[in-house]
Amino acid sequence: MTIAMPRSNPLSEVLAVAGNEFRQFRRNRTAIIISLVVLPLFFTVALGAGRGGAGTRFSSTSQVPIAFVDDDLSTASGQLWQTLINSGDFHHLVQGYREENAIAALGTGRLYAAIIVPQGFQGKLANNETATVILYVDDGQPRIADEIASTLRKHLRDFNLNPELKSAQRRGIAEIQTIEKGAFFSGFLTGLPIVLGVVQIFAAFYEIAGGMSKEREEGTYARLLLSSIGQGTVMLGKTLYDLILSTVRTLVVLGLAVFAFGARPHTDLGTLLAISLLLALVTAGFGFFVSSLGVGTRAIVIVEFFLVLVLIAFSGFAVDIELMVGASKTLSSLLPWTYGFDALRRTTLLGQPLLSLSDDLLVIAVAVVAFYVAAYFNFGLSRERLLT
Amino acid sequence: MGETAISTRKLTKVFGHFTAVDNLNLEVKTGELFGLLGPNGAGKTTTVRMLCTLIEPTRGTATVAGYDIMREPGKVRREIGVVSDGVMLYKDLTVEENLKFLSTIYKIPNKIAEDRIRELLEMFGFKEKTKRLVSALSSGWAKKAMICAALLHSPSVLFLDEVTSGLDPQSAIALRDFTKNLCKQGVTVIWTTHYMEEPQRICDRVGVVFAGKLVEVGTPNELKRNVNDATALEVESPGLSGVQVARIRNVRDVVKVTYEDPMLRITGTRKEGFIEDVTETLREIDAKVRAINTKEPTLEEAFISLTDGEEEIDRFLEMTSRRK
Repeated sequence: MTIAMPRSNPLSEVLAVAGNEFRQFRRNRTAIIISLVVLPLFFTVALGAGRGGAGTRFSSTSQVPIAFVDDDLSTASGQLWQTLINSGDFHHLVQGYREENAIAALGTGRLYAAIIVPQGFQGKLANNETATVILYVDDGQPRIADEIASTLRKHLRDFNLNPELKSAQRRGIAEIQTIEKGAFFSGFLTGLPIVLGVVQIFAAFYEIAGGMSKEREEGTYARLLLSSIGQGTVMLGKTLYDLILSTVRTLVVLGLAVFAFGARPHTDLGTLLAISLLLALVTAGFGFFVSSLGVGTRAIVIVEFFLVLVLIAFSGFAVDIELMVGASKTLSSLLPWTYGFDALRRTTLLGQPLLSLSDDLLVIAVAVVAFYVAAYFNFGLSRERLLT
Repeated sequence: MGETAISTRKLTKVFGHFTAVDNLNLEVKTGELFGLLGPNGAGKTTTVRMLCTLIEPTRGTATVAGYDIMREPGKVRREIGVVSDGVMLYKDLTVEENLKFLSTIYKIPNKIAEDRIRELLEMFGFKEKTKRLVSALSSGWAKKAMICAALLHSPSVLFLDEVTSGLDPQSAIALRDFTKNLCKQGVTVIWTTHYMEEPQRICDRVGVVFAGKLVEVGTPNELKRNVNDATALEVESPGLSGVQVARIRNVRDVVKVTYEDPMLRITGTRKEGFIEDVTETLREIDAKVRAINTKEPTLEEAFISLTDGEEEIDRFLEMTSRRK
């Protein structure tokens, strides 16, 4: 008599399927390296740095005209001017502007930035209070804006530790704060939503669609169907596995973005993770649907290629959706990934809270459900074709 | 053996315009080792897949271990084990990992699963191979691993689909002995094969399948008796040309001619007058005949040769229907 007992514990079955996927994954070093290292690294460097690295090697602040507006006219502000000149990073530092003129010159492109030392700068340093330096940048030049800001912050830090200044001008250490005026997006930050989205889409689709096709072709899918396990359990288990990998990938991309490229997303980690995983989920659903059509492992690569082409053209990947017209706009509005990219942009660049993106998130959620339900039923209807 | 383990009634499977299984009526008793014999494409694997609930029949019904394959597929799956080329283990996992995973999805309690896995691995002599990836095993050991997987939940019905293909003779013999022992313990086994000697050696009964039809069912001895009309001649005739051999093929009721210089083997479905017709033809084609011997046809010769090609299939069906 059979010893298989009808214990009802769907969660343990889902975890068993997910665990099974991980056991196979850890044996495949190539998959680990590509999925968790190469893919995030490649897209982060290629897309992110290509749009303007906020690091140190991709731009030169010394060649661009930057106004130095000294409203304090003190020894400290004079020494600050000298420090910046001597550093070599602000070789083209221009004095003589008033604040409003400097801002106007920014708008016409004659200046790339304006450093304002307000009245009371030295006094605050002497009183051990926080002194401020105001930085205006041209947000039409996102690539260099972040570079100017980070270079200035570095020199202000060094200036603060200047022993001459410390002894003559003030008692104790005071903080110099940079106030960045005007909205600007650092070069890399504009690429970050794209990177986060693309990495998930590339990996999730292949992991799910490729994985299901491989199971079918190698006969393990039939093995699963011969047990008491249901199609839904198989799908949930594989989804769980993919979401865990997607979480790791998101953290790798964000880690590179923040620590290697100095990006500062205007939102928290939880929000970025939530949207990235939602993108991974909708892609996984699409992957299940494609594999339920009986597409072979080799053909999955071709499907993925076309998926990425469509996304590049229509989802806001390369062209902002606000700039699309006509049929492009219509097609764009039909792709759930469009809403994912848009949600990532709004949170990363503008700091919009997650709840304010309910429309975008709802569209993605509906797409997730639609893909999963369609795939589930299609697996049942196509079972014979998938197994023969 | 007593109760019915498997019962089919007009079981049919049609793929498009092709009928893979045609009105199969079959009964297999509990504890029986039933052979399904037929050439490739006869419908054996399709029959197994329907009985395993992997695919649905187009028409007809079947019960396996007392459960209807259409209405209670989940219950059927709990009672069956399958070893087939289309039902594999995960290549990137070890044998033990595969079995542990299967024990979870078969909902076997952990302690029972551990004991059962240990028992099966010891029974098949896996030892250090337990920790080897399935992809690193030879085909024989991989087959044994699949059998362990099929037996993990102690099924009452076991389907072994072409299970000895790719196995060395020693392993094949060991597997046959093991299967016979299983049947003694009350497990019903369906053994599909296209090798004639296997059902002869181990099966309680054999069903002959070709062109989707079950054309004969009986014990191996009964089947051999039914082909008493077959005649096999061995002629020593060196240097025959293709044209000469073709003339031999045209002799009435000849179903198979093989020629490896100088031995010519002729199989026919008639006894009366057959040798005379053949010798007359040999004379007409000026064949140099050194010797003619009559051979008792093996079951293999009778059946494989009779299922080899359309004309032979028609002739065989005619022959069997005449006998009935």
